[in-house]
Amino acid sequence: MSRLLWLIRREIWEYRGAWIVPAAIGGLLVLAASFGHVEVDLAGVQPRSGALGGALLFGFGILFVLVMSVYEFWYLLDCLNADRRDRSILFWKSLPIGDAETVLSKLLTGLIVIPLIYFGAADLATLAIAFIVSLRARAWIGDALWHPDQWLQLQVLWLYLIATMAVWFLPVAGWLLLVSASVRRAATLWSILAPLAVLWAERTFLGTDRIARMLANRLFAGYPAAAFHDISGSFLEALGFPGTARALAPASAWRLITPLRFVETPATWIGAAVGAVLIGIAIRVRARSGEF
Amino acid sequence: MSIIEARDLTKRYGGLVAVDHVQFTIEPGRIVGLVGPNGAGKTSILRAVLGLTRYEGRLRVLGREPLRERAALMRDASFIADVAVLPGWLRVDRAVDFVAGVHPRFRRDRARALLAKTRIPLARRIRELSKGMKAQVHLALAMAIDAQLLVLDEPTLGLDLLARRAFYDALVGDYMDETHTILVTTHQVEEVENLLTDVLLIDRGRIVLDASTESLGARYAEVVVGDARLAEARALRPFHERRTFGNTTLYFEDADREALAKFGEVRATSLADLFVAKLSGGAA
Repeated sequence: MSRLLWLIRREIWEYRGAWIVPAAIGGLLVLAASFGHVEVDLAGVQPRSGALGGALLFGFGILFVLVMSVYEFWYLLDCLNADRRDRSILFWKSLPIGDAETVLSKLLTGLIVIPLIYFGAADLATLAIAFIVSLRARAWIGDALWHPDQWLQLQVLWLYLIATMAVWFLPVAGWLLLVSASVRRAATLWSILAPLAVLWAERTFLGTDRIARMLANRLFAGYPAAAFHDISGSFLEALGFPGTARALAPASAWRLITPLRFVETPATWIGAAVGAVLIGIAIRVRARSGEF
Repeated sequence: MSIIEARDLTKRYGGLVAVDHVQFTIEPGRIVGLVGPNGAGKTSILRAVLGLTRYEGRLRVLGREPLRERAALMRDASFIADVAVLPGWLRVDRAVDFVAGVHPRFRRDRARALLAKTRIPLARRIRELSKGMKAQVHLALAMAIDAQLLVLDEPTLGLDLLARRAFYDALVGDYMDETHTILVTTHQVEEVENLLTDVLLIDRGRIVLDASTESLGARYAEVVVGDARLAEARALRPFHERRTFGNTTLYFEDADREALAKFGEVRATSLADLFVAKLSGGAA
């Protein structure tokens, strides 16, 4: 266990962005809350409503999750590649650490540890912001941000998100690790162009687009459809589309998440199995990558 | 038990045979130099020994099959592959912490003591150190591991004379004893000549000489002959000769010393000369 902790610590030493980026976002948001000035058309919104407070917290959370997704994509693509580029793989391989251990520690860092760091940063930032905003905008926000129930919901939402995303996006993570372990350079290009080539081949030779739809489902619509009730309306409004803020914040996170449906969706487990296979191949490739 | 045992060890890259049915055995407590020109197959052999690459034939390192059991093997063996493979982003003190965290045979106090003898600032990142310092950090880490086998692959390549000397002095002074076995590859033969107990000379994927350094003095000799008596000396069948300043140096293997002494002073052939003589083929 402590070995695994050392391996994860190693990742955080190397990828300092894992904590610097969320800390910077949190810091910027706190600065904005302290000194910023926002004009919001609040017609139709009940002042001091729980919905308003919830919308604020929810919006911050989405910002963190979006940045996190980009960072994770990059991390998983780089983590088995960087030490091959600078040849430090020869140092890591001189230590009694198995290749499976190495790959799994990176997977764990990418899918669990980094999201937890973002979660922590988001939590700290929203606490600070809630405090500052409720001081500065006491008139219309009042104590809307201080509902223990809302905070609890937010924690549950984050942890649920981390757990379900780790499972749902396992095949994507597996693919990124495999590319990272296999190619010498241009990992980003490979990771995107190789699937595109498959799509193109399917369309050209078979005239179908089943793989394209499967991929699109995996990357975009599939996850929220499996893990959450329909929240597309809330997303759109959070992005500034017209509508009232009422819909922005769900009355309760308990009604938003659908763990049972997530577990019952076959695509969840088919994806996880594909992910496991890809990770297995990545480990094998890693074991033979002393050849150069 | 032998430390390393190779039988018909072969390594191919596509159609190219880099190591060709090589046999050798390395016994405990020896310091073996794997010596050969660039592209001779040294690094391929080392990579196979360290479990970094696939190979054909039979290979046992500390009784283990390297590729399949690399992680377990690395508890009892350590290696420095090339200078400058420590990751640049890692801080020196954290490198010590990390290895201490994952390596059951690593002695942190020993690493600290070895580093204290140098002028390396511990809070620096590896990338901020000079090449010589990087090599010293790596050596300190490797020497603090209580390993039965230490493998060094061109550990001083590109270092200046002072750094090379410091590296080997530390190795000899602080590490070498009968419990440790060292396998070192280099093409800077002169530098390791006095360290080695055994030599494996390799050329084009084959071992051309496998001998202890003590036995070399008895087997190989050289004598400088003037042009007047050259033909006479050649009758004793030197395996290599070299022209220098109007004289010719002739190299002999298992020759009659008394017969050679008639032509001049008979000297033991240095490893470097032997290297050149053996690898540049017959009489030049």
